[in-house]
Amino acid sequence: MIRYALGRVLAGIPVLWVVATVTFALLRFLPGGPFDKERVLPPEIRHNLERRYALEGTLAHQYVDYLERLARGDLGPSYKYVGRDVADILRDAVPVSLELGAAAFALAVVGGIGLGLAAGARRDTAVDRSIALGSLVGVSAPSFVVGAGLILCFGLGLGWLPAGLWEGPLYAVLPACTLAALPLAYAAQLTRAQVAGVMDQDYVRTARALGVPEARVRRRHVLRNALLAVMTYFGPLLAILLTGSFVVERIFAVPGMGRYFVTAVTNRDYPLVLGVTLVYAVLVVLANLAVDLLYAWLDPRIRVGGAER
Amino acid sequence: MRRRATGLALAVVLALGCSRGFERAPARELRINLETEPPTLDWNLATDGVSIVAIEQLMRGLTRLGPDLRPEPDLAEHWDVSADGRTYTFQLRDGVVWSDGVPLRAQQFVDSWQRLLAPATAAEYAYFLFGVHNARAYNGGKLADFSQVGVRAPDDRTLVVELDAPLVYFPALVNFMVTFPLRRDLVERFGERWTEPGNLVTLGPFVLAEWRHDYRLVLRANERYWGGRPPLDRITAYMVQEGSTALVLFEQGLLDLVRIPPLEIRRYTERPEYLRQPLLRGYYYGFNVRKPPFDDVRVRRAFALAIDRSQFPALLRGGEQPESSWIPPGMPDANPELGLRFDPEQARALLREAGIDPAQLAPVKIVYNSDQTHKLVAEKVQAFWRDNLGVRVEVENREWKVYLKELSTDPPAVFRMGWGADFPDPDNFMNLFTSESENNHTGWGNREYDALVARAAREADPAERQRLYDRAQRILCEEDVPIVPLFVTAANFAVQPRVRDFRPSPMDLFFFEQVRAE
Repeated sequence: MIRYALGRVLAGIPVLWVVATVTFALLRFLPGGPFDKERVLPPEIRHNLERRYALEGTLAHQYVDYLERLARGDLGPSYKYVGRDVADILRDAVPVSLELGAAAFALAVVGGIGLGLAAGARRDTAVDRSIALGSLVGVSAPSFVVGAGLILCFGLGLGWLPAGLWEGPLYAVLPACTLAALPLAYAAQLTRAQVAGVMDQDYVRTARALGVPEARVRRRHVLRNALLAVMTYFGPLLAILLTGSFVVERIFAVPGMGRYFVTAVTNRDYPLVLGVTLVYAVLVVLANLAVDLLYAWLDPRIRVGGAER
Repeated sequence: MRRRATGLALAVVLALGCSRGFERAPARELRINLETEPPTLDWNLATDGVSIVAIEQLMRGLTRLGPDLRPEPDLAEHWDVSADGRTYTFQLRDGVVWSDGVPLRAQQFVDSWQRLLAPATAAEYAYFLFGVHNARAYNGGKLADFSQVGVRAPDDRTLVVELDAPLVYFPALVNFMVTFPLRRDLVERFGERWTEPGNLVTLGPFVLAEWRHDYRLVLRANERYWGGRPPLDRITAYMVQEGSTALVLFEQGLLDLVRIPPLEIRRYTERPEYLRQPLLRGYYYGFNVRKPPFDDVRVRRAFALAIDRSQFPALLRGGEQPESSWIPPGMPDANPELGLRFDPEQARALLREAGIDPAQLAPVKIVYNSDQTHKLVAEKVQAFWRDNLGVRVEVENREWKVYLKELSTDPPAVFRMGWGADFPDPDNFMNLFTSESENNHTGWGNREYDALVARAAREADPAERQRLYDRAQRILCEEDVPIVPLFVTAANFAVQPRVRDFRPSPMDLFFFEQVRAE
């Protein structure tokens, strides 16, 4: 198991290299550079800037230079934020996105599975139908609509919660709910469909016929089997939620890293774009690995690592 | 069990509803919105409107701008100009100390200017001092010996500056942040981190207390400020990027001063919290005079005459003021009488005279950078040209950096641009369209215009200066018409009633030295 996990982590390195290379290339194809501004710079000043940020040589030269620094773990300086390294920026922003993302993930998992289970077990009742309707809304409404709706209702209308900033747990409620809305609704739909399918299986009927208590049937036989499919969704979801959301962080003025996915590109802050992209790639690799390991735990038929099969 | 859970939920909701702990407005604290992270607090390197808001509270310069925008003594008690207008001698104020107790010395200006101009610093605004003797050569790496650059400190209280040619606006230029004095000892000790809290030492009304990057900046009153401790204890500057969120936070009482987003201005204009400040910021349309049909001056004049500027205020509703000349009102030597006014008859006549049949003319393309306001303006201009001239017009938008790249490599036939004053002198606006200017995207050049602008920069007599700028503006806005000035913009604020004595500036600067918050 450990060898398998280690192997998977090592296999992630070429993935990161590909991500870094493609991002590097795409950024340089994009017209306009970090020092194109409303006020055009005199040539000698432009030259000074290009020398300071090592943007002088050919693209190939810059690429090799970049990979070398990356291999040493140096993400380089930000072009936009003078005197700050990309690593400094990520060190400040990543924990905030992790906190917010973890809260949203917990909400989505607990709420989504709970609602899906409730709906799937009471098929075609009023409960089922209202959950189906609610999750349809959750899946279809974009987060800026959900966020604006929550601000309007709980921020301006009732005045219970601050509409933005990041000063304490109270301030995390609205952004976490907004971030969780879509995955929660989707997880509920997914769980409901799986639960409904499993409930019809022979082994469930058999368990009931044998007099196994209903709660135990649901927990041990239904939930466990239904969750397998839902798990596949949670891996990438975890990576998405932990790296933050541009929209949610912007609406609620949360100082996370999600904003940089957009602002770093509009500023042509090449090192920062590469930095946030790599963090995202690392999280995707790790989250997928975690899901695969969880699979094995949930379903004894799945074995990780070729030797044990 | 279920009842207990319901009770608990109710208690939480009530606790949240009653406490409203987030609404407290702390006395003597001002909470403002900076909108974005200041790219730097290093005043040699700062270039943007956000950094300057913070820096102007922390630092002072040789001069400051009075209510009429004329430079007044600040760190310099007074100054003398030599008879040939090329040498300025500034006498520094006595008793000014930095926040760590070190006295201000003239050498700290020399250190700052040396750092600003050093090629390795790569300061974008080094060109502000290019008028100083040998400064450009030093910045370009052609001169290695800084002692040959025209700035020196013969003693602790005297700063002598030698210019290549007279610049009558030089005292206004040294009000700009890149020229502020600098503590070389601290920059050397802390390196790039010298602007972090704990390291940063300043001499303005406030000092830096906390900087949580990309979230908030906290400034504290400077007990050692030579002008007297300011009434405010604290300024907390948040970085709320989304304008409508900032406005909601204002309505919740969490922010005291915010800019009102364009779409919300109408809702605010009648409220007591509303404050409008006209700015020294012009908005213009430029023609690429190398691209037909705009290589013909009659066509440019015709297109300019076909625009009805009076419709922009109702369209944009941000306090825009139609303007047919280029030097914005409020600036010395402005003359709003100049420029081409709306005259569709004459416009059509000019087009005929140029031998152009509007129906046969290939579609004219307007390009702008993606933004709601720019889009509204472009579509309005499109309608003016279609209805008044009968030509076909296409509008296209570009992402900002793509747009800038296009302007510097292959400018579109028609483009939009804006310009805000860095220092309150007409040269800052008129210099833009000289043939040597990197910011002149029109491809137009006129020797007479260049000569007039160069002469006006040296001219000390106000009446003569006005005459020179009037003539130059006539060339720019009536005769050659490489650009069509459309309007000047305004800033729109919401300010809590508990905040007193907040006076914004037409330069879009903020000074919180006198502001009180109850």
